[in-house]
Amino acid sequence: MSEIKKSKYMNPYIAGVLLGLVVIAANFISGRSVGASGAIKSAIVASVETVAPAHAENALFYKEFTQGHSGNPLNSWLVYQMLGVLVGGFLSGVVSKRLTWKVEHSPKIQSRTRLIFALAGGVLFGIGSQFGRGCTSGSALSGMAVLSLGGFISMMAIFGTAFALAYAFRKLWI
Amino acid sequence: MGPLVVNEIISENTNLLLAFFIGIAFGFVLEQGGFSSSRKLAGVFYGYDAVVLKVFFTGAITAMLGLLFLSLFGWIDLGLVYVNETFIWSAIIGGVIMGAGFIMGGYCPGTSFCGAAIGKIDAMIFIVGLFLGVFIFAEGYPLWEGLYKAGFMGSPRISEFFNISEGLFALFVVIAAVLMFWGAEWAEKKFPREEY
Amino acid sequence: MNMKQITLSPRMTLTAVLLLLAVIIAAVPKNTTTPYKLSATQILDELKSGTQYLEPEQIAQMLVEKDPYLQLIDIRSLNEFEKFSLQGAVNIPLDNLLSPDFVETFDQDTKINVFYGNGTTQANEAWMLLRQLGYKNIYVLRGGLNYWAEAILNPTAPPSTSPNDDLARYDFRRGAGQALGGGEMSSTASKPAAGAKAKVPGPAPAGKKKKVAGGCS
Repeated sequence: MSEIKKSKYMNPYIAGVLLGLVVIAANFISGRSVGASGAIKSAIVASVETVAPAHAENALFYKEFTQGHSGNPLNSWLVYQMLGVLVGGFLSGVVSKRLTWKVEHSPKIQSRTRLIFALAGGVLFGIGSQFGRGCTSGSALSGMAVLSLGGFISMMAIFGTAFALAYAFRKLWI
Repeated sequence: MGPLVVNEIISENTNLLLAFFIGIAFGFVLEQGGFSSSRKLAGVFYGYDAVVLKVFFTGAITAMLGLLFLSLFGWIDLGLVYVNETFIWSAIIGGVIMGAGFIMGGYCPGTSFCGAAIGKIDAMIFIVGLFLGVFIFAEGYPLWEGLYKAGFMGSPRISEFFNISEGLFALFVVIAAVLMFWGAEWAEKKFPREEY
Repeated sequence: MNMKQITLSPRMTLTAVLLLLAVIIAAVPKNTTTPYKLSATQILDELKSGTQYLEPEQIAQMLVEKDPYLQLIDIRSLNEFEKFSLQGAVNIPLDNLLSPDFVETFDQDTKINVFYGNGTTQANEAWMLLRQLGYKNIYVLRGGLNYWAEAILNPTAPPSTSPNDDLARYDFRRGAGQALGGGEMSSTASKPAAGAKAKVPGPAPAGKKKKVAGGCS
């Protein structure tokens, strides 16, 4: 039984080594590493600039973003990289036959509850990633690879908090 | 030699194209590792499935050692590689908020894109939440700008912070990771897991 | 699970390999040679192709336009520098080239540094030395001041049967020379002939060291 379960996904240690090689490649080619939340930030800035250009010009956040970046916010490394993630994830789903419409949750809760918490978790992660200047990929993983102090702090804060709160949200998962 | 784009061995546009391919590899590996499943991801916090811990830390230490070796051979100038800036308070608060988001949402941004790519609806809702969250942060930015910029420490490497060599610090991290893997294997045997 | 499976598991292999590598990396001293330094062969190649030279016309053009990116460096002695120097040049005698005072002059990424002496020998020596240390945005004025005087300050008119290019270059040189205080003075001096617009390298292709972008912000 357990053998079948384990063969469903790649061995995590092998997947980890491959993940490390991706990070090395990114650093070797571009001098930077993978990240996800930055692409979302670019998309938000681009949308606000399109929908409410006057607001984008006045509000501090967008002004600071424009100062630090030139050109269309969507024409950025992280945006292309995240598009690649969508394609890569999809390809992997095709290869391993995992393409299904599905809401994943513990049998103890309903899909609706799961989706509400998914939304709430997304909002929190969105806010947190801005404070942390990157998410688990951009700050913790990439940061640890280059031995950045901030990367280790982010990593410990993310996993520490999640462990600390795990008991409170156990119904969602087990 | 490396980083190629900084040393102008490849152009800015090639860099963007390669970003796309790096993304494909990133997404493929995450999905193959099981990061597209929120229950698998959350499992690490209950001990029944430590895939996050294993993949994440194996990835981090492989990359860390790989970059140190590339630097040793003179193939990459680590001085030119981006090192995240450290704003200590913002990093801690952001990490805490992200940790809460992680246990509630079951995803982190990178993995949610992966999940969405294979049709996980909870991942798509999580992404909607991400956009909302970043938008909320952007709109309320003047309120927390002070906090966001407090405690700036530059871009220190952790080895400099502890004043030991990079290689020695990497060794400690590898030992810590190996111990964690050992603990994780033990926990996975102890806590039951089911098919999902 | 039997014992054989455990000993061959990816985790065990990985643990062994990573620990071994980590011990190696912890034991070896850090590689402190800056990898962007050039090898002797690379420098020889650059010397052979002459990429370090900028033509007097280019420099004259930049001087006339008051190009803010141009930084002329006079490597002759202070004595000689005080007698005559090019407009806006700073004096860094060859002997003092490696003095820490001048590190900032070379290690920056906005200006392009152009060395000149009376001829090219000294300037080339300075160029080679700094190039070997990895500085990128450094050049040598072709022919030095001797050629400058000949080409820009007192150009000789080519015979009127010369190709148009030669005539245009002469016009430019004369104009620039007048603008830069040589030859005869006239009221139109400040306008160099547009015919021979020299291709002036901007600061970007001069190989600037960029600050890396990155992170998730």
